[in-house]
Amino acid sequence: MKKTTSKIYVCLSFLAVIVLFYSCEKDITVNLPTQEQKYVVEGYIENGMPAYVLLSKTADYFAPVDSASLMKYMVKDATVIISDGTITDTLLMASPDIGYFYYSPNIIGQTGKDYSLKIITAENKIITAETHMLPAIPLDSVWFKIQEGKDSLGFVWAHLNDPDTLGNCYRWFAKRLGKDKSFIPPPGSVFDDRFINGKGFNFAFNRGQVPNSTAKDDNNDEAGFFKTGDTIEVKFCTITQESYKFWRQAESQSAGSGGPFGSTAEIPTNITGGIGIFEAFNPTFYTVIAKKPN
Amino acid sequence: MYRKTIAVIFQLLSLTLYAQEKSTRHTLSGFVKDASSGEALIGANVYLKETMKGVQTNTYGYYSFTVEGSDSVTLMASYMGYVDYTKRLLPDKDYRINIGMQNKFIETREVVITGKKEDQNVSQPQMGKVQLDIEQLKSLPAFMGEVDVLKSIQLLPGVQSAGEGNTGFYVRGGGPDQNLILLDEAVVYNASHLFGFFSVFNSDAINNITLIKGGMPANYGGRLASVLDISLKEGNNKEFKAEGGLGPIASRLTLQGPIQKDKSSFIISGRRTFIDLFQRPPFVKKGSNAANNTYFFYDLNTKINYQISERDRIFLSGYFGRDVFNFKSADTGFRFRIPWGNATTSLRWNHLFSDKLFVNTSLIYSDYKFSFGANQESMQLKIFSGVRDYNVKTDFTWFPIITHNVKFGVNYIYHRFTPTSVEAKQDSTQFDLGGVNHLYAHEGAVYINDEWTVSDKFSVSPGLRYSMFDFVGPFTRYIKNGDFETVDSVKYGTNKKVAFYHGLEPRISAKYSITRNASFKASFTQNYQYVHLASFTSVTLPTDVWVPSNDRVKPQDGKMYAAGYFQNFKDNMFETSVEVYYKTMKNQIEYRDGAQPDDDVKNNTDNNFVFGKGWSYGAEFFIKKAKGKLNGWIGYTLAYTNRKFPDIKDGKTFPAKYDRRHDISVVIAYNMNKKWTFGLTWVYATGNATTLPVSRYFMFGPLDLQGIVYNGLPNMTSGQIYDIYGDRNSFRMAPYHRLDISATYNRPKRKRFESSWNFSVYNVYNRMNPYFIYFNNEVDQKTGTYKIQAKQVSLFPVIPSITYNFKF
Repeated sequence: MKKTTSKIYVCLSFLAVIVLFYSCEKDITVNLPTQEQKYVVEGYIENGMPAYVLLSKTADYFAPVDSASLMKYMVKDATVIISDGTITDTLLMASPDIGYFYYSPNIIGQTGKDYSLKIITAENKIITAETHMLPAIPLDSVWFKIQEGKDSLGFVWAHLNDPDTLGNCYRWFAKRLGKDKSFIPPPGSVFDDRFINGKGFNFAFNRGQVPNSTAKDDNNDEAGFFKTGDTIEVKFCTITQESYKFWRQAESQSAGSGGPFGSTAEIPTNITGGIGIFEAFNPTFYTVIAKKPN
Repeated sequence: MYRKTIAVIFQLLSLTLYAQEKSTRHTLSGFVKDASSGEALIGANVYLKETMKGVQTNTYGYYSFTVEGSDSVTLMASYMGYVDYTKRLLPDKDYRINIGMQNKFIETREVVITGKKEDQNVSQPQMGKVQLDIEQLKSLPAFMGEVDVLKSIQLLPGVQSAGEGNTGFYVRGGGPDQNLILLDEAVVYNASHLFGFFSVFNSDAINNITLIKGGMPANYGGRLASVLDISLKEGNNKEFKAEGGLGPIASRLTLQGPIQKDKSSFIISGRRTFIDLFQRPPFVKKGSNAANNTYFFYDLNTKINYQISERDRIFLSGYFGRDVFNFKSADTGFRFRIPWGNATTSLRWNHLFSDKLFVNTSLIYSDYKFSFGANQESMQLKIFSGVRDYNVKTDFTWFPIITHNVKFGVNYIYHRFTPTSVEAKQDSTQFDLGGVNHLYAHEGAVYINDEWTVSDKFSVSPGLRYSMFDFVGPFTRYIKNGDFETVDSVKYGTNKKVAFYHGLEPRISAKYSITRNASFKASFTQNYQYVHLASFTSVTLPTDVWVPSNDRVKPQDGKMYAAGYFQNFKDNMFETSVEVYYKTMKNQIEYRDGAQPDDDVKNNTDNNFVFGKGWSYGAEFFIKKAKGKLNGWIGYTLAYTNRKFPDIKDGKTFPAKYDRRHDISVVIAYNMNKKWTFGLTWVYATGNATTLPVSRYFMFGPLDLQGIVYNGLPNMTSGQIYDIYGDRNSFRMAPYHRLDISATYNRPKRKRFESSWNFSVYNVYNRMNPYFIYFNNEVDQKTGTYKIQAKQVSLFPVIPSITYNFKF
């Protein structure tokens, strides 16, 4: 549903682009002013899993980017504390061969809990945030359907009965076993129940891809589709309103990426003293085997 | 204020009484027309040679003035591109003199881009008014061969292009919604075809174009920046004529002729693009992208008029235009159809109460519609928006004595707005999207304006307009909290008052002649605007919605102060002027940062607005060679336009997207001989202000914790880049400049048949002008290296075009 609405505007944007049959482009040099660095927080608490936080800093727009220099933007010397109301724990730094992030083996995500985050940086800057784990709202059913006119390619469909309380927000991820390394959110992965409150309906998602993917099936006719033979794991999460707003704007920004149709708005954050998101989310999992109808 | 108005009316009345007492005063009146077609000549000057005093014809070509004394006088009439008319007569009684003027163009093929009574720019109190002659615009370079009035007016100083591929224009720092665009008095809410590449006005059907960019007289209102008043041709009432053309984009055909000779005539003019006709078999493969994505636009203008008596005449005119875009994705089965366009109808009745009092009453219907219908599998979606107006107006033109020309009238509009409405269903499940959403309002105005020639040196044109706007139910106001979540709603019943605004709009312009060839002018204008155009993008699109003033959105309030010095040289061969202006605009709107299109659904669009003020100032320099084989002009504008919104970037002042520091236009026409005419235009404008990202960051999104234990963190380059934007409109794109040339070959007339070829070259030196800038992330997965490259997209390279026009 949400997917279609946002698609319309994407299409409208494309429209204008389609008619630009004469348009052409060239590389230019742009001088941008140097900015003060900000702290970027990614703090996640999934039901049943340990809490973890990634902390980095913003970079100048044209600063060199490769894995080595990116590591320089990761902040490794902060004190990161999470409390779930009962336990207050200082997070551990993961081993560098796994990656730069902080985790707590003691704080395990639990439905109904309130979480607070406090980060003290090396220069004594305080960053704080709060979140809450909402109960999971499961899908009714999940299935694969071949797209009209296609032989083996299709989308994953689901039926959701939205509860009759306004304000539920959802996020969808999927992973093909053996093909994808992790759960990938497709474009428009978040939606809320503004227009569907208390209703039951079917919806479909296409297959997402990791940013800048060079995988073959992300760059040929299969891009965006699941294929018969795939075993697909769907992770459907109940998220907070703050998360919904964050990811909605974030996805809109990555879709527009400049141009006259892109959004130049900042992504709304729930972090005080930095940017990013601190969120608790509650997933349910489904496995679908993509096959042709009998 | 009310009392003062009455007093002014009384004063004027007493003047007439005085006029009637004197038996030596007689009235000369009549219509000024093109002698060969019977078309009214609007804004023609009719005057007495002896005193050089006179009037301009009104929208229907009518003039009237009073002469004193019993000596014989010389009645003169002059109009751009026409041979001067002269008649000697003895004013011993009232005379009705209908003047038929000969088109000079037909005789000499001399092209003068704008024209008027030779020293009108110096002698009239009106400031910032320009009349363009459509026949003559046809010899200038045209983009893809389509003569476009909206593009032509952008060549005037103070009028700036909203950008390439955009018919929107900015007048003295005003937004595109602040221009009142009238087609036979009907408001045209969206004047663009093909997402703004072409305007909706078919040049073959147009009689007259008047642009007022400052010192708007009181008979116009409802917009802050300018008036573009376009009159359709009435149709030739002498003989049947056909004319048409074939260009690379569209073809045109116009038929006109008398229904009853000299009394009644008709005109019908159509235009259509034809690219889509080639987007079907056998030209393209069935089911291919080209066949699935089709686009066309067309428009149709019709008008008939009938002269009931010497004193009464009626006109019925209509415009209907549509753009249609069809899209079908072979991949996903997603398809949509987007039609949009305007329809207008005007019924007008001219009546002469006396030789001195002319009245026109109009009934006008105007409708702009946009809709988007899409479906994919069992999902159906419809989005629509629009504006519909029912408009009644009565305008009087009163010529009490030669030194006064009084206009007064009344106007009422019933608006029905449809801000974005969405309907969606899947199988039988109907989604709750707030349903069809209409908004209703009554708008009214009364006005009086006098052009008063106080002395040979001094003339003044005071005017007063009172306008009101009543926004009524049915209406639902959604009340939002600080997080833009709906917490409550208030419902208003049918015709229940939601908001009421009104105000007085005083206008004044004055002229003081220093010498016969030089004058100083000044003006003040107050305007209220009760409708607002909201746009999500930085370009004008048919998706932009019109929103009325209501309990949350206050009327736009504009004040403009302007002054100018005008001087002509060498027997009016050269006209020069310098004008300066300062303008304030209150209650301007913008979408709040982070608003998204679907936030408008099941909501009041205006809940996503933020409000602030704007101001602009600038100077316009103009030099024109008005006569000779080689003629044209150079205009230069220096302008500043700023905005300040408490909710945007902490209330910092930022340049409006209409801010354009320097703007130069050069327009040259050269009439080599009867066969060949050459045209050249060159434009230069400071680059558009835009907002760009200044820093960026990576995010991974929720990790697959179990996966990490086995695989480690995913490669850094699999993170998503997000941008942090700099101050609004703080970056300037490269300047815009472009040269266009044209050559028109007129084939000598054979019997009745005339034809011409227009060869145009757009963007002669192939300047890559910026349309927008974006940043491309190029990633090398192997090395894990990113490269961010700024890219500038340009629309149109050098484009030659040929257009063939014919007439018989």
